[in-house]
Amino acid sequence: MWKNSSLRCLLALAILCLRSLIYSQEIGSLGDPQNLKCVTHNLQKMLCTWDVSSRGRRGQTDFCYTTNDLTPQVCFKTKERRVEIPIPESSITVTIKSSGTATKEFVIHQKDISFVPITPHILSLMPDFPTSTLNLKWSDNGSVFPYGLDALWQIQILRKEPMEVVTQVTYYSKLTHEDVILSWNWTSDMPLECTSHYVKIRCYINATQFVGSKDWSDWSPTEVIPGKDTEPGESGVFPLDPVVAVGSDLTFCCVHEEDQRITNMTYGSKSYTMMQLSSRSHAIRVLNANVSNSSGTNVVCRLENAWEGSVVFVGYAPDTPQNLSCETPNFLIIKCTWKPGRPSGLYGERRTKYSLFERTSGRNVSCEVSGLNKDHVCDFPVLPAQKTYDFILGVSNPIGQAKSSLLVDITQRVHPKTPEKLTVTENNSTSIQLRWFINGSFAEIRLLCQLEISSSHSERKLNVSTPGRKSSTYTAQVNELHPHTKYQFRVRCSDADHFWRWSDWSRGVEQTTSEAPPARGPDIWRERSPSGENVIVFWKPLSPSESNGIIVSHEVSCYLLDMLLEHKVVLEPSNSTEIKLGKSDCVISVVARNNAGSSPPSRITSVELPSDNVTTDQAVAVGNGINISWDSYPNMTCGYIVKWCHSSGSEPCSVDWQKFPSNTTSVVIKSALFKPGVRYNFSLYGCKSMGYQLLKNVTGYMKELPPKTAPNFIVEETSSDSILVKWEDIPIEECRGFFKRISSFLCKGEKDALKPRLSESGNPELKVNNITDLTKKSMKILDLQGKTSYQLELQAYTAGGLSPPNSLYVVTKEDSVGLIIAILIPVAVVVLLGVLASIFCYRKREWIKETFYPEIPNPENSKALQFQRNICEGNKTLKTLEMNPCTPNSVEVVETQSTAPKIEDTEMMSPAAETTVPEDGSESEMENHVVVSYCPPIIEEEISNPPTDEPGGSSQVVYIDIQSMYQPQIKPEEEPEIDLVTTAGYKPQMQLSISALKIEGHSPVEEELDKTAGYRPQANTNAWNMGTPDSPGSVESNNENASFGSPCSINSRQFLLPPKDDEDSPKPINTAWSFTHFFQNKPND
Amino acid sequence: PDVRADDGDPAGDSWGIFTFLCAALCNLPALPALNCSEELGAGQSIQQTYDLTRYLEHQLRTLAGTYLNYLGPPFNEPDFNPPRMARAERVPSATVDLDLWRGLTDNARLAANYRAYSRLLCYLRVLDGQVGTAELRHRLSHFCASLQGLVLSIGGVMSSLGYPLPAGPVGPPGPPGASAAPNDFLKKMDDFWLLKELQTWLWRSAKDFNRLKKKVPPAVVTLRLEARGF
Repeated sequence: MWKNSSLRCLLALAILCLRSLIYSQEIGSLGDPQNLKCVTHNLQKMLCTWDVSSRGRRGQTDFCYTTNDLTPQVCFKTKERRVEIPIPESSITVTIKSSGTATKEFVIHQKDISFVPITPHILSLMPDFPTSTLNLKWSDNGSVFPYGLDALWQIQILRKEPMEVVTQVTYYSKLTHEDVILSWNWTSDMPLECTSHYVKIRCYINATQFVGSKDWSDWSPTEVIPGKDTEPGESGVFPLDPVVAVGSDLTFCCVHEEDQRITNMTYGSKSYTMMQLSSRSHAIRVLNANVSNSSGTNVVCRLENAWEGSVVFVGYAPDTPQNLSCETPNFLIIKCTWKPGRPSGLYGERRTKYSLFERTSGRNVSCEVSGLNKDHVCDFPVLPAQKTYDFILGVSNPIGQAKSSLLVDITQRVHPKTPEKLTVTENNSTSIQLRWFINGSFAEIRLLCQLEISSSHSERKLNVSTPGRKSSTYTAQVNELHPHTKYQFRVRCSDADHFWRWSDWSRGVEQTTSEAPPARGPDIWRERSPSGENVIVFWKPLSPSESNGIIVSHEVSCYLLDMLLEHKVVLEPSNSTEIKLGKSDCVISVVARNNAGSSPPSRITSVELPSDNVTTDQAVAVGNGINISWDSYPNMTCGYIVKWCHSSGSEPCSVDWQKFPSNTTSVVIKSALFKPGVRYNFSLYGCKSMGYQLLKNVTGYMKELPPKTAPNFIVEETSSDSILVKWEDIPIEECRGFFKRISSFLCKGEKDALKPRLSESGNPELKVNNITDLTKKSMKILDLQGKTSYQLELQAYTAGGLSPPNSLYVVTKEDSVGLIIAILIPVAVVVLLGVLASIFCYRKREWIKETFYPEIPNPENSKALQFQRNICEGNKTLKTLEMNPCTPNSVEVVETQSTAPKIEDTEMMSPAAETTVPEDGSESEMENHVVVSYCPPIIEEEISNPPTDEPGGSSQVVYIDIQSMYQPQIKPEEEPEIDLVTTAGYKPQMQLSISALKIEGHSPVEEELDKTAGYRPQANTNAWNMGTPDSPGSVESNNENASFGSPCSINSRQFLLPPKDDEDSPKPINTAWSFTHFFQNKPND
Repeated sequence: PDVRADDGDPAGDSWGIFTFLCAALCNLPALPALNCSEELGAGQSIQQTYDLTRYLEHQLRTLAGTYLNYLGPPFNEPDFNPPRMARAERVPSATVDLDLWRGLTDNARLAANYRAYSRLLCYLRVLDGQVGTAELRHRLSHFCASLQGLVLSIGGVMSSLGYPLPAGPVGPPGPPGASAAPNDFLKKMDDFWLLKELQTWLWRSAKDFNRLKKKVPPAVVTLRLEARGF
C-alpha cells in the first residue's frame, strides 16, 4: 500500500512537471504569468496559482475567466497570485494580465486540475496506559464535498529516538456530506510509558467522477503521547503490575534517570537482553510467559545504585464452572456448589471472583469462596413466594470471565440438614419411640425419614413420612423389636414428594430392650436311667430370640393325673435332671424362667411302650448328614423322635434328639458335632398318645475311616501242615467304620528277617484268605509244610480302608515219618559200608602191611627228611629270608665301646632311665649314635652265627622314625638341642610297662613281649647289642649313612629275637630312652 | 447542677475509699516482706523476654526463608541487598549507631524497643492479610502472636522496672490504604525491609535484655520499689 501511494505521488509529480513544460511552451516568453496550476480540495472550487517574473510581481493583476462562449467572462483584480474559481465542467479559459506584462491566456481542462484533500487534523489522541492503547479521533470534513465519497486514511505511529515508524495503517471511511468524527484504536506492544509515541494522519479521497489527478493530502501535524522517559525524575519499570494470560508475549521497560547506568533487567530469575528505546529507557521482551507464582513474577531493573521493579501476574482466564448444583437444606438458603475447574494461578485481589445472579428476581450475590475446598459453595437466600430460580454463576478475574447457568425448582431440591438430638424412649420390651430434631422450615413439604434399626444379627430400615414443620422435633414409633436386644438407631430424612437426596445419617443412639418371658418352652426328652428307677429329663437351651432374656433356671415338674409328684428347680447352665420315679410313670413338664417370667410349659410323658422286632441298621452319611429312614407307622400319631448320643461310648453321653412330624419316613440328621470315624447310635422312637415306642436302632458313621488296629489273634493249634488262628473283635472306638472283611496273609518267612508287608510284597507263595463272615472268629489254614516258619498277617477292612497289619510268626510241627526215614537210611548205608570195608581189609591184610607199615623203612621215601631239605635250600615261601635287592635299613648303632667311661656313662644314665622312663616313650635321642645300614639277609647271617667274642658289646640299635631321620641329615650338628626336642623318635606301638623295661633281658620280659601284640623290637635291644658291633662300618658310618627304617622292620623281629643270650648283656637296654633322659633331665650327672 | 452536686458527693466519697483501698492493695507487694517476689518477678520477666526474643529470632529465621521464597527472585537471592529507599523508611529502622544506642538509658532503650515492635507488629499484620497462600498466612499469624507476646513482655519489663510505657500513637502508621506502597514491587520491597528490620531489632533486643539481666541488681529494684511504695 505504502509503495502504491508513493508510486502514485511520483506519477502525479511527473505529470505536473510535464504540464508546466507544456504551459511554458504555450504561454511564451519570460516575465509573463506562467505555470498556472489549479488544485481543488473540495471538488467545487479550485485554487489556481501561477508564477510571474520579477517585473510583474508588483501591482495588481487582472484575472478573467470564462467557462464557455455563452457565459460572460468574469474578471476581477487581485494582488495575489492565486485565485479561487469554480471547477469547470469541461474546461475554462483564463486570462491573466499583470501590470507591465502581456496578457496571458490559459485554457484549463478538468483533467489538468489536481485533487488534493484538505490536510486532516487530529482532534484528540488519548492514551490508555494500563492497556497500552491509543485512541485517535479526527474529523473527516465530509461536509466540504458535494457528494459522498470513499476516503482512505493513512495513520502512522512512530516512536524511539530517532523516530522509527512502528506501524502504518490505512483506515477506510465513507464521506457522507457532513462532518463525521472518526475514531481509531491501536494497542501498542510496548507500554506507552516506556517512550514517546507519535501519531500522524493523511487522507486520500477516491473521487471516481473527477478526471483530474488525485493525490494524498499532506500529513497532519504529529501528535505525541510522551513517555515517562520525558518526564524529569520519573523512573520505574513499566507496565506496573500487569495481569496477563499465560502464553502472552510481554515487553517491559525500565525508565531511569539520564545519568544512571542500567546494569541488567531480569524477569523472574532470568536476565534478558535489553534494547534501548531512548537515553532514559530500555526494554526487554519476554515471550510465551508462564504461570507466575502466587506473589507474581518480579521484573527487576537493576541500576547502579537503585532497584526498580514491577510484578507481573501471569495466569489463566477462569474456567467455566462445572457441575453447578443448587439445593436447599432448610428453605432459608439455597446452597449452590460447583467445581471451579483449572486454577487461574492468580491470588489475592486478582483471584477468581464468583457471583450468583438470579434472573427472575434480578438479585445478585457475590460469593466468598475459599480456595481450600475442592467444591465451591455459595449461599443465596430463599426469596418469599419464589420456587423457581434461574441462576447464573458469573466467574471473573482480571484476565477473563465465564459463566454457568442453572434453572432449579427448590421444592424439588431439598437436602435436609442432618437430624440432631436423636433420643430413644422405651415403651415396652418390643416397642420404642424415637425423637429427633431438624433445623429448617419444611412447612411446605412432607418429610420422608428413614430409621435404621440394627442389632448384632439384624438390620432393617423403616421409612416414616411426616408433614414437615418449621424447626421442629419429629417422632416415630418402632414396634416389633425383640426383647432383651441391644439396638442401634439412627435417622436420615429427605423430601417425601420429590426425592432429591438423603440427609446425612444422624448420630446413632443405642438402646437395649427390656426382658420378656421366654417365648416357648424348651425342647425336652426323657430317658430311663439304666437302673430303670429314675427318669433323666433333658432339655435344649432356648435360642436368644426365644429366651427373651437371660434364662436363670428351669423348673421340672412331674404330674400323675394332675397330681404333682415332684418339682425341681434346676439352675443354669445345667440341661438335664434326674427324677426318682420308681417303676411308675408321669407327665414331665419343663418351664424355662428368666427375670421377666416363665415360658409356657413343655410336656412329655415318661411312658415307654414295649417294642418288639427292633432292628439295628447301619448308615453312613451321604453329604453332611446321616440318613435315617423307616417304614411308615400309621399308629404313631404324634410324630417321631430320633435320639442319639454325641459319643460312641457307653453312658453317660450327651443326649441329643430331633422331633419329626408323623408323616415323615426319612430324615437326615445333621450336627456340627458329628466326627468322622466315630460310631453314633441313633434310636427312632414313635410317639403315641400313650407314650413313646422304640422302633428302630441305627448305627452310623459320618465317614468311615480305616480301622486303627488289626484284630489281635493267636495261633491256637499247629500241626505239620495246618494252623488254626483265632482272633478277637476290634474295640468299637478303633473300628472307625463297619467291618467288611478280615484278610490273612501267610508266607514262609523267618522272624528276624526284615520284610515288607506281606500284602504288599507280591510274593508268589503268598496265601491270602479273606473272611467276610464276620461272625467267624477263627480260621484254619491248610496245606502247609512241616517244620517251616511262616509269617502270618491279619488286616481288617472297612469302607474307609485297610487297618495296619498285625503280624505273627509260626513254625509248623515236624513230619515224624519222614524224619525217621531220613535217619534210618544213612545209618543202614554206613553200617553196610563198614561191613564191606572190614571184609576187604581182612582179605587184603598182608598187602596193606607191606605197603604202609614195612618193617624196614626206605629213607628215600621219608617225607620228613624231604621237608627238612627244602628249608635248607631256602624256602620260597619264607619271604623274610628272601634275598631281595638290598634296601638299606637304617639301624643306628649307638656305639658303646667296651671302654670304661662309656660303660660308666651307660651305667650313670641307666638309673635315670629306670627312674624317669617317659610314659609314652616317644622321646628318643639321636646324638652320639651310629647308623648301620643293614639288610635282613645279612642280619640273618649274623643271627645264624651269633657273635660270641664280644658279648658285652654295647653298640645299640635305635630305631628312628622317618621324620626324625631327615633332620640330622639337613643340619646334623647345628641344632642338636632342637633335634632332641623335636624328634618324635620311635613310637612304640605298644605301651610297654616300665617294669618290663627295667628288667634287663629276663625271660619274663620276652614272655610279656610275646603276649603283647604289635611291634616290640625295642624290648629286645639286648639282641641288637650283640649283633651290631660286628659290622665294621658301624662306627664310621656315624650319621652319614642314615637311612629310613626298613620296610622289613616288622619282619626283622624274627631275626632280631635271638633265642637267648639276654643274660650276657646286662645293662645297655633302653639306651635310647636312657640317652634322652640323660640329656634332658640329667645334664650334669 | 445542684442535683448533680448532691449526687457527686457520695460518689466522690466512695471513689475516695475505693482509691485508698486500691492504693493499699497496690502497695502491698512493695512491703519489705513481699519484696522478694517482686524482685524475682522483674528478673524473671527480663529473662523471659530474653528467651522470647531468642525464640522469635529462631522463628523468624525459618519464616523469612519461606517468605522470601514466596516473594520470588531476586528477594530470595542471598546477595540481594538493595539500598534502603525512601519509601522503606516507613518501617522503623534499627539503624541507630550502636555506640549511640549503648549511650541511651535503659528506659529509653526499652521504650524504643517497645515502640519499634508495636509498629513492626502492625506492618506484619498488614502483611498477613495480603499473603496469597494459606500455609504462609498461618505461619505469619503464628509469628504475629509471638511478637505480640514480646510487645506485652517488654511492657511488663518496663512496668516492673517502674518505667512508664511510651505514650503516643503506637497504632498503625496511618490508614492502610494511604500508607500502602504504590505498587506490588515496592510492597515486596517493604516486606523485605520489614523482615530485615525485624531481624536486626530482635538481634539488638536480645543483646539489650541480656545486658539488662546483668545490669539490674535486685537491690536496686527493691530500693526503688520501696521508694515508690512509701
